[in-house]
Amino acid sequence: MNKKLQTLYIIWYREVLIYLRNSLKFFTSIFLPILILIFLGTGLKTIFPTPVLHYDFAQFFFPGILGLSISVMAISSTMSIVWDREFGFLKEILVSPISRSYIALGKILGATTTALLQGSLILLTTPYLGINFSILLFLKVMLVIFLIGYGMAALGIFFASRLKRIESFSILSQIIIVPMAFLSGAFFPLKNVPSWMITISHYNPLAYSVDALRWVVLSRSLDYEKISLMTTHSLPVCLAFLFTFNIIITFFSIRMFKKLK
Amino acid sequence: MKDLSEEAEQTEENQNNVLEIIQVKNLKKRYKHITALNGISFSVKRGEVFGFLGPNGAGKTTTINILCTLALPNSGLAYVNGYHVINQSNLVRESIGLVFQETTLDNHLTAEENLYLHAMLYGVSRKDFIKRKREILKLCELWGKRKMKVESFSGGMKRRLELVRALIHQPQILFLDEPTIGLDPQTRKKIWDYIFTVRKKKNTTIFLTTQYLNEAESCDRIAIIDHGKIVAIDTPENLKKMIGGDIIIFKTENNKQAEKEFRKKFPQYSIKWIGKELKVEIDNGDKFLPILVKAISPHITSMQLRRPTLEDVFLEITGRKIREENNGKIEDENKDFDITSLFSLFNFSETEEKNNLPIDKQKSDE
Repeated sequence: MNKKLQTLYIIWYREVLIYLRNSLKFFTSIFLPILILIFLGTGLKTIFPTPVLHYDFAQFFFPGILGLSISVMAISSTMSIVWDREFGFLKEILVSPISRSYIALGKILGATTTALLQGSLILLTTPYLGINFSILLFLKVMLVIFLIGYGMAALGIFFASRLKRIESFSILSQIIIVPMAFLSGAFFPLKNVPSWMITISHYNPLAYSVDALRWVVLSRSLDYEKISLMTTHSLPVCLAFLFTFNIIITFFSIRMFKKLK
Repeated sequence: MKDLSEEAEQTEENQNNVLEIIQVKNLKKRYKHITALNGISFSVKRGEVFGFLGPNGAGKTTTINILCTLALPNSGLAYVNGYHVINQSNLVRESIGLVFQETTLDNHLTAEENLYLHAMLYGVSRKDFIKRKREILKLCELWGKRKMKVESFSGGMKRRLELVRALIHQPQILFLDEPTIGLDPQTRKKIWDYIFTVRKKKNTTIFLTTQYLNEAESCDRIAIIDHGKIVAIDTPENLKKMIGGDIIIFKTENNKQAEKEFRKKFPQYSIKWIGKELKVEIDNGDKFLPILVKAISPHITSMQLRRPTLEDVFLEITGRKIREENNGKIEDENKDFDITSLFSLFNFSETEEKNNLPIDKQKSDE
């Protein structure tokens, strides 16, 4: 057992170390979401003034951008598998006498950690966006981010195990990540859109992620009615979905990772 | 729990007593269109430096991959350190160290971190790691550069680091797949010095593949492999003795005439064509030279006498030179590689995998 934990630890450690050491990646991973929040958020706010919406547009916008940023972070962190394959290091891991499941789990947890680091830094902007915060709330948000990041990281492993070249990542992001993001409700509420869009979004883990974040992040700033105006699912449904999704996707990603050659 | 670990220790001791650390019997491996291994059998003794010699595509890497549990054989038996390579693959992996043809270091990390990662992956405790790290980094003369990122290292430094990294979990056997390929002669010599230091210090068995004949000469024993079959297996000295005595290579103004006269006058010796020259294998070649000069009427334009090398052995057994088809082939591989990497921009998963297949096969085929 000790040995297995050691495996988990070392794979996780490397993942986090690479993220922290790559200062450019670290910087851009935080800079872009903040850029979107400030420029896009302020701009869009002029179209949707508070009296029309019954809430501040920034309050609507922030949890969505937070959810998308950590999701993309988690998925792109798992792309290290493809890099490792291209530069040969993957072989070193694969021939070591440790079980593939633990390697996959270590990678997932590593990617989740990068999402948590990024998320906590983005959360620092909340005082400027009119969102009330406390330490307890921060911890709760971290928990939700963990749930979301974990699922997306596992999804990333699932795809990364199949990708042979890093160039394919752009296709992956266009086919999977971007549609998921657009149908997540981060940019507009999924309330008054055509029913086919709503149907698709019922299968979109990101839609549940964004909703869950809204419920938790805004819990000290807005009352129940106002939050339910901007969400489609209630918090327990969101958490239950994410939890189930995580379990299923872990299973599939480990299976896919085991097939890796 | 205690009993179990004691038992494990005991079996480990038993494993250490296995005299033949690698045993291979009638191993076969087929890929879709090619038979990579066509029934090879050999064994390697503990503490030996065993060389696998053959041209590209002969089955060297396939053999290593099977022994290291990276590929499954179609039939045949293979034991490494007394463990079955299919059923006890984890035990095999724990007892071996591996250095691949291509580098497998993490460029983002420092030399020290690369070693740390490896140690942790192989279950070496922190205490042991710190103890061994110093010795091992000094061995490969990278102690002063241990805090530098690997991406700034030269090819030779990376190779050295990989070599010692494979040692940090103290494996019984070290597998080296073309350890010196792509390195300049000085670095190559240095790598070999390390290999022998390691062998001397740790009594590690070393199994290596190479296509450099002069390197193969420093092995204790060599197996020559060609087209998936072992064609000869012995010490370099004995292999060279197969040729018998010395080799005389000469060129005349009329080789055909010369060959005819030679066959007539010395029917007991064999004479062969090599390109535009004639080759004679003979005992006491130094004394035979003047006789030969007098015996042949066409004017001799060049002549040389030398001791047989492994190149001659390879030529004798397979009928061709070991390196003659190499250069073109390597270029081909690169071309293929570029085209598919272009394709992969447009192809996703399925089709891409198909595109890649031939390359993978070529690689594992070597």
